[in-house]
Order: sequence, then C-alpha cells, then structure tokens
Amino acid sequence: MVGISHTVYKGKIMKKLLPLLGTVLFAGNVPLAEPNQAPLHPGSALISPQMIEAIPGWSRYGELFLYLQTHWVKMLFLVILIAVPAVFLIHYLIVGPKVFSHDGRKFLIFPSWQRIIHWIAALGFVLLIPTGVMIIYAAFFGGGTTVRFARYLHDIGAVLFALTVLPMTLMWLKEMLPRMWDIKWMMILGGYLTKKKQEIPASKFNAGQKMWYWVATFGGIIMIITGFMMYIQNFNPALLNKLDLHQIDILRIAVIVHLLLAMVVTALFFTHVYMSLFAIKGSIDSMIDGCKSEDELKHLHSIYYKKIVKEGKDKDLADKC
Amino acid sequence: MYNNARMKFYCDEDRCIECNACTIACAEAHELPVGIHRRKVVTLNEGIEGKEFSTSIACMHCTDAPCSQVCPVDCFYIREDGIVLHDKDKCIGCGYCLYACPFGAPQFPKDGAFGIRGVMDKCTMCAGGPKPTNSTDEFELYGQNRIAEGKVPMCAAVCSTNALIVGDAESVSKIKRERDAAKGKGPKTPYGWDIAYGL
Amino acid sequence: MTNHLGDIQNSKAIIVFGANPAVNHPVGFKHILKAKERNNATLIVIDPRYTKTAAKADMYARIRPGTDIPFMYGMLHLIFKHGWHDAAYIDNRVFGMDHVIEEAKKWTPEKVEDVTGVPAETLYQITKAYATSKPGTLIWAMGLTQHSIGSSNTRMAPILQLSLGNMGKFGGGCNILRGHDNVQGATDMCCLSHTLPGYYGLSEGSWKYFAHNWGVDFNWLQKRFAGKKWMHTKGFTLARWWQGVLQEEKIYSTTPIKALWVQGNGITSIAQQAKVQQALDKLDLLVVAEPFANEAAVITNKTDNVYILPTATQFECEGSVTATNRTAQWRSKVVDPLYESKTDEEIMFAFAKKFGFYDELVRGMMMGVKNGKAVQVKNTFKWPEDATREIARIIKTIGLTGWTPERLKKHQENWHMFDEVTLKGIGPMKGEYYGLPWPCWSETHPGSPVLYNIDIPVNEGGMGFRARFGTEYKGENILAGSRAGIRKAKVHGGYPELTKDNIEKVLGIKLSAHEKAVMGKNWKVDLSGLIAKYALKAGVAPYGNAKARAYVWTFPDKIPMHREPLHSPRYDLTKKYSTYPDKKNHYRVDTKYASIQKTDWSKDFPILLITGRLVEYSGAGIIERNSKYLAALQPEMFADINPELAYKHGINDGDMIWVHAPEGTKIRVKARFTYSVAPDRIFLPYHFAGFMQGADLSSHYPEGLVPFATGESANTVTNYGYDIVTQIPETKAGLVRIEKA
Repeated sequence: MVGISHTVYKGKIMKKLLPLLGTVLFAGNVPLAEPNQAPLHPGSALISPQMIEAIPGWSRYGELFLYLQTHWVKMLFLVILIAVPAVFLIHYLIVGPKVFSHDGRKFLIFPSWQRIIHWIAALGFVLLIPTGVMIIYAAFFGGGTTVRFARYLHDIGAVLFALTVLPMTLMWLKEMLPRMWDIKWMMILGGYLTKKKQEIPASKFNAGQKMWYWVATFGGIIMIITGFMMYIQNFNPALLNKLDLHQIDILRIAVIVHLLLAMVVTALFFTHVYMSLFAIKGSIDSMIDGCKSEDELKHLHSIYYKKIVKEGKDKDLADKC
Repeated sequence: MYNNARMKFYCDEDRCIECNACTIACAEAHELPVGIHRRKVVTLNEGIEGKEFSTSIACMHCTDAPCSQVCPVDCFYIREDGIVLHDKDKCIGCGYCLYACPFGAPQFPKDGAFGIRGVMDKCTMCAGGPKPTNSTDEFELYGQNRIAEGKVPMCAAVCSTNALIVGDAESVSKIKRERDAAKGKGPKTPYGWDIAYGL
Repeated sequence: MTNHLGDIQNSKAIIVFGANPAVNHPVGFKHILKAKERNNATLIVIDPRYTKTAAKADMYARIRPGTDIPFMYGMLHLIFKHGWHDAAYIDNRVFGMDHVIEEAKKWTPEKVEDVTGVPAETLYQITKAYATSKPGTLIWAMGLTQHSIGSSNTRMAPILQLSLGNMGKFGGGCNILRGHDNVQGATDMCCLSHTLPGYYGLSEGSWKYFAHNWGVDFNWLQKRFAGKKWMHTKGFTLARWWQGVLQEEKIYSTTPIKALWVQGNGITSIAQQAKVQQALDKLDLLVVAEPFANEAAVITNKTDNVYILPTATQFECEGSVTATNRTAQWRSKVVDPLYESKTDEEIMFAFAKKFGFYDELVRGMMMGVKNGKAVQVKNTFKWPEDATREIARIIKTIGLTGWTPERLKKHQENWHMFDEVTLKGIGPMKGEYYGLPWPCWSETHPGSPVLYNIDIPVNEGGMGFRARFGTEYKGENILAGSRAGIRKAKVHGGYPELTKDNIEKVLGIKLSAHEKAVMGKNWKVDLSGLIAKYALKAGVAPYGNAKARAYVWTFPDKIPMHREPLHSPRYDLTKKYSTYPDKKNHYRVDTKYASIQKTDWSKDFPILLITGRLVEYSGAGIIERNSKYLAALQPEMFADINPELAYKHGINDGDMIWVHAPEGTKIRVKARFTYSVAPDRIFLPYHFAGFMQGADLSSHYPEGLVPFATGESANTVTNYGYDIVTQIPETKAGLVRIEKA
C-alpha cells in the first residue's frame, strides 16, 4: 500500500515538475518567419518592428514566464515564507541556540565603516524583502495604493542596497573565497545540529556565511540589474540584436531571473537573520560594536583564531575592543 | 450581434498604409498623454521591394489573456463579449502583464509620484473601465466608452482604407472572407452605406 | 482629374507617376486597393523612391528624377511596335500623333535604360502589363509637374493615355490628384497672376465680360492699373515674387514689390527659402491672414510692419468647396469664429471698405440676368449663397452654371444617397451625380463625372474633347472624326465650339429674333443660357467636339521633348537633351535655364535630391505641427538616407548632417536610415519651418505660438529651376551634397 501511494505521489510530483523542467530546458528557439530587414530607428522598442518580430518568439520566454507565474511563483514563495522560519523554529526548540562566554578578551572583527555599510544594506533588505513579498501577493494585500506604495519602497530599498553592494563585495571578497575547510564545515553543517561545543573549521567567515555573501552580493547585483531593467523597460535594441534577443525577451528573462533569485535570497535572508539574531546568543554584537568574544571566536571561527594568535595580531585586535 | 459574440480586432496588412489615423484618433479620443500609443502602426521591411508591409497593433483582447493570468493583483476582468479590461485603481504598475503579453500592448506612462512609472494603460476597445459607464471618472482614467453608446471603436471608425476592422469575431471573419472571395468580381455597385465597413 | 476616385475601381491597370496617394490621399487610396482586390487590377508605381504606394504596387520602377518623358516615350515605342495602341481611337480623336510616333521610334528600351535608370526588361514588363489591361488609368501629382519641363510632362501623360484609347473611358483617364482641400476650387477661381477666374484669360474681351457681370465700369477697372497694358500682362508668380523685391534678376514691372499680403497660403513651402527670407526682410509691409501663425512672419527678421490677422478655419465658415474630382460640396458652419478670428470674406470686405472699393467688390453678388444682360436686381446680398450664385452665373468656361447653392445643399443633405463607384444618385437624388462634377452645363444638368466620354449622352455627362483652337491647322481637320460622335447627339462626329453665329448651322435649328438679340456672342459669355439650352437639347456639349492635340503648335516644344533638369547628375546628357535658352520676362522676371545648366554641378553636388510629403503633415505644416499628437509622430526634420551612402560619409543613423545646395544654401537635419531611397539620392520632407540654415528661429514666433515641431525647410536647399510655361519650381529634380555635421 505504501509502495503504491509512494509511486502515485511521485507521479503527481513528476506531472508538475516535468512540464517545468521541460519548459525550462526546451525554452527552445522558434525560427522567425521573416526577419525584419530595415534599419533600426530610435524610439520605443516595445512598439516597433522588433516587437512584431518577437511575437512568434513568445513561446520561448513569454510562455515560460506565464507558466512560472501562474503555476509556481506564489506556491514556492509560500513554501519559503512558511517552511524556512518553521524549520528554524523547530531547530531552536530542539537544538537551541549556541551559548558562548562573553567574559575575557574581545577582538575587533568589523571596523565601524564595515558595520555602517552592512546596516545600510540591511535597511535596504528590510525594505526590499517584505515589499517584494507584498508585490507577489498583491491581491492578498488589496492592491491599489497600498501595494503601489510598497513598490515605491521596494525601489528605495533597491537604491540603498545598490549603494552598498559594491563596497560590501570588495571589502569582504578575499575572506569570502571558498577554501578546503568549507567542505568540512558543510559536512557537519557548521556544527549546528548538535548542542556540543566544539571547534568548527572556519576562517573569518564560515561556509554558511560565504554562501549568503555570494548570493547577497552577486545575486544581489543581478537582482539590481534585472530590477533596473524592469524599472526602465526600454533600452537600446542595437545591442540586443547582437545577442539575437528582443527587448521584450530581455524583460521576460529579467523577471524570471529576478523571481528565482528572490526565492533564494529570501530563504537565505531568513537564515542569516536566524543565525545572527537567535542561533548564536549575542552574536549580533559583532555587528553593533564590531567585537566578538574569545570564546565564540575560538570555537566558531577556529582557523581564524589560530591564525591571529600565530601572527600575534590578537593583541591589536583585542585592544581595539 | 450573436449571443456568444467575442469582440476581436483584425488588421488587413494588404490594406494598411501606415496613415496613422488610428494612432492619432485613439490618442485624441481618449486624451492620452503624448507618447502613450495604445494603438500604433508598425512597418516592417521599410524600403525593401516587395517585402514592406504595415500593420496596426494594439491589445488583441485574447480569449486566454496571459496578462490577466499573471497579474499579481488580479486587476483584469474579461467581459462577456471578450473585451479585456483592467482596474487602474488596483493596478500596481509592476509590469508583469507587459512581460506576459505577446504583443507588447500594456504601456506605463511616467505619471506616478516623482515621475515614477505609473499604472498600466492599454487599449480598452473603447469600452471604458470599471467606473460608472460614461462618467467623468471613467473618461479620465480609461477614455471614451463608445461600446456602451453602440459606436464602433475609434481606430476602426477612422481607418482610411478599412484595413482595421473590429467587431464580433464571426462578423469580422465574414467581412475578410467576402473581401477575398470578391477577387475578380469587379466593383460593387450600387454601394450600400448600411454596413460599417462595406467590403 | 478627368475621372474620379471611385471610378478607379473600374480600372484594370493603374499606373502612378510621381504621386504617392497612400500618403497624400489615404482615404482615396482605398479605391485603388479595392481595384486591386476586386478587379485584380495591376498597380504600377514609377517613383524615384520606394514610397508607401510602391509598397502596395505589383510593379515598381525606380526612375531618375526628371526623366519621365523618356520613360513614357519608351512605353510608346513598345506600344506602337507591338500594336497595343488603339488605332481607331487615334484616327478619330487625336491630332498630331505621327509626330509623337516619330520621336518614340528613337527611344529604344536600351536608350531609356541609359537615361532613366530603369532596366529595359522592367520597362517592357510594365508597358505590356499596362497597355494590355484596359481600361487603364494614369495617376500623377507633383512628381510630374514640379520640373522645368513640367508642362511637357503633363502633356506626355495624356498622350500616352490617348495612344491606348484610355481617355474618356470609365476606369481610364488622367487622374491628377490635387493635394489640398479646395485647391481645385482655388484653381477654378484662378487665384493666379495670368488669368481671370474660370480660366477666362486676360484679354480685353474677358475683362469686359467680368466688368459687365460685376456691374462695374470697365474704365474704372482699367484705371486700377498703372497703365492700359498692365491690365493684360501676366503678373509675378508665387514661385518668383521675391525677385520682384530683390531684383537680382531683371524685372519688368512699374515698381518693385513693396508689400505682401498672404491669405491662406504657404510662403514657406516654395523653393529658394533663403531668398524668400531676404525678400520678406526687404518688404515695407507684410500681412499674413491665417488661422495659425504662417511661418512667413517667422522666418523674416523684419520686426516692424508685420501683421498677423487671425482667420477662421473651415469649421467656422460656410460655403462650397471643390474636390479633386471637380465636384462641389457644401460646407456648413459648425461653430462661430473663435476669439477674434474673422472669416476670410469679413477681412476682405473690411479692407475693401477702408480702401474705398467695397461697393464695386460686392455688387456682383446682387446682380441677375435679364434678357441676356447682367443687371442689379437687389440691394443686399446673402453670403455665401449669393457668392455661389455669382460664380454659377458667370463661369461658363468650365460649366459651373448648374452649381446653384440650392442644388449643392441638397447634395449635402443627401450625401448617403449616391453610389461610390458611379457617383449616381438614388431616391431623391436620382438623375444627378454627387457634387455635380463640372462641366454642369445647366441648372438641370446632372454633372459630368468622366470627362471626354463619348459613350454616354451629354445629358448624362458625356462630351468630346474641347474645340478650342479652330477647326483646322495647316489644312488638316482638327475636329473629331466621324466615328467620334457623342452618343445620342443630333450632330454627327466633330463640330466647332458654339457661337451665336454658327449655332443655327451646327445644330440645324432656327432662332427667333428675340433669341438672337439676347444670346451672348459665344458659349463662354452667353448669359441668356440659350446656347447651353439648345446644345443640351441637341445632345451636344456647347464647347465643341475636336481632336485632342498631341502636337501643340503654340508651346515651346510642339511635342513633349526630354530636357535634362537644370541641375543634372548626367552632364553628358545635358549636351544632347539641353534645356531651354534663358527666358526674358517670364512672368515679369528674367528666368535662367541654359546658363544654369551649362555648369557641371554633379561634380560638387553628386547626390540627387527628392522632396515629398509625410502623411502626418500637409503643405507648409503650419497647422499639423501645432497638433501635439501629430508632432509626436514626426517631431523633427530629417533626411531619408540609404545606409550605404551614409557609411561612405561616416554618418550613423540619427546623426546630424549638413545638406548643401548649389545655390550656396545649407540645412542641418537628422539622418534617418532607410532602404526606400537608393544610395545615390536622399529624401527630404518639406513640411518643416522654424529653422534657417542651422539657426533656430523659435524666438521669432509670437508669444506662446511656437509649434510642437519645428525644423529646417527642405525648400532652403531645393535648386533654382522653373517650368518654361507655368514657372512652377523644379523641386523634384535637384542636386545636393551632404556631410556629417
């Protein structure tokens, strides 16, 4: 009985997944009946011969967007909005937060300018993510003025984040590069599945933080670009022709990428918030005054701790705190 | 009109000469902001002998309108006669309808606060919007409601060569069919003025 | 237009020379499309660029500007060679075709290809398609007329139609498409410097006829002129009035022009705009009377004595207008003139009162006819009905007798009761053609939709060719042949134009003594209406029935001859097909021809210039550039340029370029890539004004009246050149040079 329902269950999923897979994989090329031969003229590319040429190509990204938006977006986001916090709630209840002593030495990890950049970006995120969710579920929020206002806030948040994303990328780039010990970290999931206090293989930033960094910065940059494309809607078609794409297709790809990344970013944002606010007691301090306690550093970022002690930098960093 | 009428546009590209009467008449009738072209004539292959042709494009009022399917606020509604309309008060200007539309019909005037992109505007087939019929509110948001007055949509009414015809799909295809079947039959005279486009 | 737009639906072949009806007559173009659809008509377009009309054509020939005569001779060469001509028609209805056939023999397809640039094979295909599908109609417009040989071009086209027997047939004819609302009416009223209204000319007889009908003393009229001879001398033209101010070329007038009054005309749409600007600057007084600020008042640097009088638009006044197909339509007032606008006649009457000739000006509207004489019958007049009545009463040359205001208003009220293709009325309008196309010989005549049609009776609109030049030339009969009589006419074959002296003989009737006393001297001045009455009774047209002249002994070229444009890209051909010698006193100013052509302009100015229209604008563009939606579609002046030509000069799509003319003028416009022009030519639309040779003249506009779209005028760079007979500017064949700005 179980076996049968298992197959049936799998069948139902495949029924939903297969078309998704198919559409994504085979968002195939539809040959144009008659390519427009006349020279391009400036003016809106959205009402132009190029738009007409793009019509047969609708079954590429246009249909893909239609399919994703009607069948997957709302559901997947709901899953993320519910499941991710739920998982962390369960974790908190079962495993509980890590507690470290805050006596003893404290080391300066994040100088003030890095903290400022981080918090501006954070403010940006705080504006971006809820308003983004409001846009996705606009019908639930009644649409109209409320959600329009949310859209404007989304744009403001994007500007805030855009100001900080490049500095943030550059300032932590070196420390965030993947290293061999990240694999070990991944295999034990950073040690968060156990209450045991142990030395975790991580440098200044652990593999989890690195994941978040790469998604937030490079994913964030892509989201800024795609978001900006959707904001202005109209840009130079001459470049596009070289890519064999039409203006409207770029917009379609932009919105699909933006939505997919949004899911990943939202999920990891919740993770980041949980990890920094709840999973490790007091870890938020390192972003407020920039300092981490010796106990926390020795355990959670063992490789970094060993390094600064070996290089004798620990005295300097401790003095600054 | 038939009981199951669905209103459709048809533009005969053999007759369209890019005179832009439809573009201008629509803009004039609905007092659109300059630069918003609910209907626009597009010419492909300009100057290429034997290949140049023009066609007038606007919202096609699709039966399975993708715009209304993807709208996050569900501000679209499809009338019984097939005309696709939307509620500007609900619209949040996100642009999804534009991405889903095969024809690029939705447009976004920059008339929000600080010149930001406002809510979506598109061809209404001169059927107004959800506001009370023929009220000032309806005119200011959506333009004229000619369908309610029993009039032909503005663009097709002014088309110089009757390339653009609009109406119940059955009637429109009948006209097109008769035009094609009339080849070689010679001029139609006496000519009756009782049919909107004649043949 | 000898036929009418709806009649084109009867055509099996439509050939278009130098016209672009898809752009300039979009609604009328529907008839051509219907002919294509319902008749399988072949649409052939001959044009220097691939226009919107060409896009709908079945055959297209890209011709070098100004070489229409060789092309048509090439067609005639093939027509006579293959026997596609209508021999019986030519025998009976055409005079002098032999001379044409002789000339046509010289124009082999290879020679035509060399001169026109159209491949020999294309010429053959087009000729065969056109000549073997009858009836065929020939459409032309400015592309044929605006040349130094425009008067020859416009004779060549009818000769082509005559050779095929297409004139005077349903679906045939020469359908010249007029380009503005009521320009046909303005032409019929002869707002021109070489004739009185109704094409009566400037002879003493004509002046006396009008003086009589206006109730004005002939001597008083004579004294309005500086001397007797000036009453009968042609004046300056719109094309060259400015030379009457600048006097750079010798003028023949009592005085240079000191004041200019412009009412309803586009001064900025005439060639040589830089000169026009200089002339405007030098005037003592400039008055423009327009609904929108005529840019004549803007391009001038004159700041004093420039007056703009606001006139009413078509919606604010009432009266009759004449369409391109010679029909009249009555227009009603929709709204009273807004603000301080006045209707045209209000302005003219007000000034007539100031200048002291108001009574003389209006008396004509209070006259009537008694016993064949014009007498004053009342003391007040009603505008516009009495003005219409005055026209109907006086103008007999084109048969406006039937255009009474009552009939025209009835047509307006019943305009849905007419057939689109035949113009025939039904129900209350039965027995009349819509708009009573002239000639409408009497108040009961139905009008004549198709000119020169001998297959229908005169009382249904038929007629032969006008007998205007006597009955014979050098011993040869020039009246119509015996097989060219009008259907149901009591007179067989050809007959001369009717006069009091010959009417009894020609029609075989007897006049009473009273009738002889009241009858006018000839059909053109017969106020009694008896000549028309007896003519119609006999089923003949009063103006005679003659052969159409292919050989015109009064013109500089007896048969049309090809002459290269004054600025020709083929200097070698200018030797063989040279233009006319310089003409002295051509409408009061010496005009150059050969002295221009003797220079080889093609070295420094290698690019052909084509001018034309856009559908969004019309004429000088004064009205439409003030419409925000239209201006949004065409916001700026541009030059259509082939990408190949552009890249040679390092020009990209959207770059600004300078276009230089041989006269030393230049304009700065935006380059617009298109393949509709070949790499040896560019196209300029002529609707823009407000810039002059790179300088922005927006500050010259009255406060708040700058149009939404301004730009350089194409006519700043159109070349010097004027037709030998009419002095129309040669704007359709010129040379320029371009460079990146």
